[in-house]
Amino acid sequence: MITFEGAAKHYPDGTVAVAGLDLTVESGRTTVFVGPSGSGKTTSLRMVNRMVEPTSGKVLVDGRDVRSQNPAQLRRSIGYVIQQAGLFPHRTVRDNIATVPLLLGRGRGRARARAAELMDLVGLEPSQAKRYPHQLSGGQQQRVGVARALAADPPVLLMDEPFSAVDPVVRTGLQDELLRLQAELRKTVVLVTHDIDEAVRVGDRIAVFRPGGELAQYDTPERLLTHPVDDFVESFIGYDRGVRRLAFFPANHLSLREDVVLDDQDTVERALNTVDTAGEPWALVVDQRRLPLGWVAADRLRREPSGVELGRLDLTAYGHTFDVERDSLRAALDAAVLSPAGRAVGVDGDGRVLGVVSQADLGGAIWSVSG
Amino acid sequence: MDVLNELVAWFSDPGQWSGPDGIPVRTAEHVQYSLLGLLVAALIAVPVGLLTGHTGVGGFATASLANFARALPTIGVLFLIVLAAGIGLVPVVTALVALAVPPILVNTHEGVRQVDPALKDAALGMGMRGGQVLLRLELPVAVPLVVNGLRTAAVQVVATATIAAYVGVGGLGRYIVDGQARQDLTMMLGGSVLVVLLAVVTTLLFAGLSRLLVAPGLRSLAAAHR
Repeated sequence: MITFEGAAKHYPDGTVAVAGLDLTVESGRTTVFVGPSGSGKTTSLRMVNRMVEPTSGKVLVDGRDVRSQNPAQLRRSIGYVIQQAGLFPHRTVRDNIATVPLLLGRGRGRARARAAELMDLVGLEPSQAKRYPHQLSGGQQQRVGVARALAADPPVLLMDEPFSAVDPVVRTGLQDELLRLQAELRKTVVLVTHDIDEAVRVGDRIAVFRPGGELAQYDTPERLLTHPVDDFVESFIGYDRGVRRLAFFPANHLSLREDVVLDDQDTVERALNTVDTAGEPWALVVDQRRLPLGWVAADRLRREPSGVELGRLDLTAYGHTFDVERDSLRAALDAAVLSPAGRAVGVDGDGRVLGVVSQADLGGAIWSVSG
Repeated sequence: MDVLNELVAWFSDPGQWSGPDGIPVRTAEHVQYSLLGLLVAALIAVPVGLLTGHTGVGGFATASLANFARALPTIGVLFLIVLAAGIGLVPVVTALVALAVPPILVNTHEGVRQVDPALKDAALGMGMRGGQVLLRLELPVAVPLVVNGLRTAAVQVVATATIAAYVGVGGLGRYIVDGQARQDLTMMLGGSVLVVLLAVVTTLLFAGLSRLLVAPGLRSLAAAHR
């Protein structure tokens, strides 16, 4: 548990970085500090490992004032991940990860064995052990940064904008990786970001900072999105917070239509019968393993010879699917909005089609959860 | 062509290759003074540069001192010290040290200063102490620039060690000073060619040294940026 007790940072020139923070970070959870630049979120984070000393108030880790401990020793017991990883260019991946174990006086052999374990944990190939940081992609470098921070198995992990220097696709992958790691390791994670989506995605609790170094709101992501305390928080989380909130509702309650899912060996005649009976303008064609192939419009079917198998037609791309068991209503809505047919394709964990859902049906489901 | 023939004749005279004033002895003297000057300069300039670079204190003083030293005429320093300390090795080596310190000092200082602050932040944040940051991060990352400074200094020292002849302690400068005194152009040229060759060898040696000292990760990084 990390406790900020009136922790403040004033600079001699009069600038206030942090105005006096009272906040408790729960153990084993991910707490996100989010806010615009100049809101004191990074300064607050750096007070925990004494990279910044508060000018008044104090910070306690598990009840102990951090200032009662030697800074170097304190920092070796707290994992630290920075933007763009900050890897040492002259050291191999393996030796970068082994940094803290070596500082703690573990032998080189043990430190390297530990580095190998961590590479496995964060999803790096053993063949990358002897490579140098600049030979890795940005995403891989950040994985090394996380592995390095975890090397001495610290109970607390501080992450300062860890994913902001990588492109959005890689960022999402790294966020997933963090969620997976955290489910396994249960560290006390404090993560700083200016990206509210990232905060909502990875945080168990979110602290929103406002310019001037004040805490505006400290809540669960869901509470934050449904009940922003003031105009600042509301505008910071954005006007699409209603859509974003759908991320907290699972998609597995949606009722999927299976009748308009057709086999690629079915004929056009059979398909026309189906869509007419169902009163649906689109049918989804799947292969023999029930993997999606594409959409076919009812109007289109009427122009084709009735004996042709659906697999022989040029189909409309199905866009992206959503995983019925793992994804949220937000993912399902997104899939439907982006689909040329205006319908989302729900699949199981192996990508096999379970059914489809239209925007109209999704609307009903959203209506029922937003109360 | 005459000059060239005479030069070849000068070099191929067996008498030139033996005795206390033969090429091997003169070269050995030259190398000895150069090495000594460079070594003393490095022992002064590398630690000072590391310290000023690491602490950020004395950066301005370092640069001013280096600029001042750079403006000193080496031959002037030599005669000044001869006046104070008399003829011998001390004035020669002192003059060479004064020549060699600025490039080594400035390069070492800059090498440490240019280490990415984010890396220092990471090193401190992981629990390195000041000295560990210097030895495990700043020094290895600064090595390419430090070696570069040493190479610049070494080439200058080798070229300038000819001044040893003025104060009667030999070296390849002997040929140039004596050649000048005797109006013997061939001898002067011969001495100059030897100094140039030594400077080339020095450059090559430092290329090898940099392969040896620069961490492989930095080498491939530099290659990737090329």
